[in-house]
Amino acid sequence: MLELCRVSKYYAGIPAVDDVSFCARPGEVTGYLGPNGSGKSTTMKMITGLIEMTAGEILFDGRPIQDDLMGYKRRMGYVPEEPYLYNHLSGYEYLTMVAELRDLPARESAEQIDGLLRLLSLSDDRHASISGYSKGMRQKVLIAAALLHNPDLVLLDEPFSGLDVGSALVLRSLIQELAARGKVVLFSSHELDTVERVSSRVVILHRGKMVADDSIANLRKLMELESLEAIFSQLAVEQDSNAMAREIADLIHA
Amino acid sequence: MKHIITRLAEKLPLEFRVLYGQFLLRVVDLEALSLEGDVTGLLGQMAGILILYGVLTTLGLLIAVGRLSGLSAGLIPLLWKTQQSFLSTTMLVAGLIAVISWDNIFPDRRDVMVLGPLPVRPLAILLAKTAACGAVLGIAVLSLNLPMSLALSLVAGGIPHFPRNFAVYWWTTAAASIFVYGAVLALQGFMALLLERRWFLRLSAVTQLGAFAFFLASYFLEPGIGAPAMTVAAADQGMLNRWPSFWFFAMLHRLSGGLPTALDGLARRAWTGLAVVVCAAAVSLALCYLRTMKKTVEEPDLMPGRRGWAPRFGSRLQTAIVRFSVRALARSRQHRVVYAFFLSAAFAIAVSTLKAELTSGVRRPLTTDLMMPTFVMMCLSVVGLRSIFSLPVSLRANWILQVTQLRASEHYIAATRRALLLMAALPVWVVVALLSLGYRPWPHVAVHLVVLALVGSILTDLSLVGVSKIPFACSYLPGKSNIQYMFWAFVVVFVPIAMEFSNYEQRAIRHPRPCAVMLAVLGTMATGVWAFNRRRSKLAALYYEELPTVVITTLGLNSGPLRAPIEMHGTGEAEIHPS
Repeated sequence: MLELCRVSKYYAGIPAVDDVSFCARPGEVTGYLGPNGSGKSTTMKMITGLIEMTAGEILFDGRPIQDDLMGYKRRMGYVPEEPYLYNHLSGYEYLTMVAELRDLPARESAEQIDGLLRLLSLSDDRHASISGYSKGMRQKVLIAAALLHNPDLVLLDEPFSGLDVGSALVLRSLIQELAARGKVVLFSSHELDTVERVSSRVVILHRGKMVADDSIANLRKLMELESLEAIFSQLAVEQDSNAMAREIADLIHA
Repeated sequence: MKHIITRLAEKLPLEFRVLYGQFLLRVVDLEALSLEGDVTGLLGQMAGILILYGVLTTLGLLIAVGRLSGLSAGLIPLLWKTQQSFLSTTMLVAGLIAVISWDNIFPDRRDVMVLGPLPVRPLAILLAKTAACGAVLGIAVLSLNLPMSLALSLVAGGIPHFPRNFAVYWWTTAAASIFVYGAVLALQGFMALLLERRWFLRLSAVTQLGAFAFFLASYFLEPGIGAPAMTVAAADQGMLNRWPSFWFFAMLHRLSGGLPTALDGLARRAWTGLAVVVCAAAVSLALCYLRTMKKTVEEPDLMPGRRGWAPRFGSRLQTAIVRFSVRALARSRQHRVVYAFFLSAAFAIAVSTLKAELTSGVRRPLTTDLMMPTFVMMCLSVVGLRSIFSLPVSLRANWILQVTQLRASEHYIAATRRALLLMAALPVWVVVALLSLGYRPWPHVAVHLVVLALVGSILTDLSLVGVSKIPFACSYLPGKSNIQYMFWAFVVVFVPIAMEFSNYEQRAIRHPRPCAVMLAVLGTMATGVWAFNRRRSKLAALYYEELPTVVITTLGLNSGPLRAPIEMHGTGEAEIHPS
């Protein structure tokens, strides 16, 4: 289980994440939602150990992750928000490098890489340079790299970004399958439809603070709203979208 | 002055000014810089080396002229030698600038995709790029030649003839620079026009390095200029026809007046060559902009690749780091070009050594003629690659290295050492082993190769003292490298040491006991430095961001929910995270 206990991150006194606490359990898919700039990616990076918390604690299976960061990283797979990859490598070389860095057995990892590339429709372009990959292809490389070592904790920061419909459907099913096999899955997304279908519970952030942490069914009941989109709009969206659209059109004299 | 320049600049079309500013900044890859880095600082360092060289050689000339006390018999050979030498150096600098800015003038995919949809004329893009590249070339040539142009113009004809001599000097220097730069542009342009784009891109990288080696080899192999009579005799025999620096030297004297008849042909070659190159470059550029811009957009996003075989280099981690380093160096133009600077100097030394060996034609005894250059080559290769390791390939992609850091830092630092040894020290050792085939006796050659291997190991470990980073995976802080200090430290410190050690080695290898002592001392030094680094690496932490040295100690009294954590870098410097 992944637990965040009063986690905060401040930049020059300004809170990017402020006193966030929640749990992501094995067998569940936890959706992590919030508008742009609400602190989702910052939280994800703190969970992966890429940035340090200002306050609070992150526990995995009851132990602070800082106690054995390397052991924790062995069990964690992460797909970042932006598909930053080494452009001078091919997809195959990149995944091989990740396997080597994780000290995975050579033969087994080679078979897994071949299989993942095939299943993610990257087999034909495996030896082409990543610099020529589309956004969706890069995203697939990231997903493959995150799953190669069979992690217990899967962190996905906007994983559907850039994926075509077919690949998005596959990923949605994959997320559910991973949870069904006992993994802890935490993913953030702007696609509320997908989150609603896939997640067991959601955590909603607004301006760095947690404003909801419950199952979608309970939230619907409590707030007497039909959809996650309506719940999200009430809790986290500040502007009137119709009024804003009119204002933009007026500004450009459309 | 600034006001005048600003007023003049404002008369240029706005789209030209905007594009020019953008293209000028692309001389340096901004993504490689640390957040604290400064492009102008880096360019300033480069200009500093050229200015210093120009000033020192000018001082040397003035001192030499002062000693001659105006005797024309000695003055003319000195002036001729200096003029030809500086033209040759200027052409070398122009060639190196052309190599550094390889492909910069031609439209790339990014330019086409960004500027294509905008109402910007291709001609404006061409002119802006040409102006930006020309500005960089102009700054380099100006930095190098300004002091010498003043001194030579004054010495050659006194104050009455100073304006003419000064104008002729700069005309000839500009012509020589444009000739070299234009030749490179014309070559690239016709390659782009005649080849399929994917073949052009593949061959371009190879051609770039080939051009680099060509310019440097030409600089070191061209004949030196002697007394005027000897130069005229050489010209008569056609021995100078192949060397463009002599063409422009003849042009200089044709324009100044007093050109010997034997050099007429060389001056004509200069004019013809300049005209041909300028026309060829202009035509190829114009055709490129008209034809290849469309081809650039139409080309497929993905060029099919092939799976290559790559050897293993030890454990899985070591293999990953070494392969990553090799691929980064081989596939990144920026890194190749910068490393080529160091390699080309080593290459030039190898060529000079080989030239001497080929002309002698016999198996020679091992002397400092071979030993000293090999130490310099090893130093250039190791120090050069160590410098290149500091230039990142993609800072934003480094997250994967942090997320997969599953072992103690010492393992990664050991892998970095292995990469440096295999990529820098080993190739030089192999080249020297091949060069040594012409030397005897074999035992002396074998001892020197062992010495060179130990020197390579020592240099590798010395260059990694205090380093706790993965190659190409840490941001670059231009001010921190202090290129000009390193350069002069190499010239002033290492070269004399290499000379002295070569002399000592030459004596030692002839007697068993001193030879054994020498090997034992080197072996101990190599082991000692290695052990020191290994011990230090056990306590080090890998870092991915270079930070400037902290000059102000903060008390950390600003308000915040908790005291900010302190993170120790491998350098021993503390980074305090702001709260």
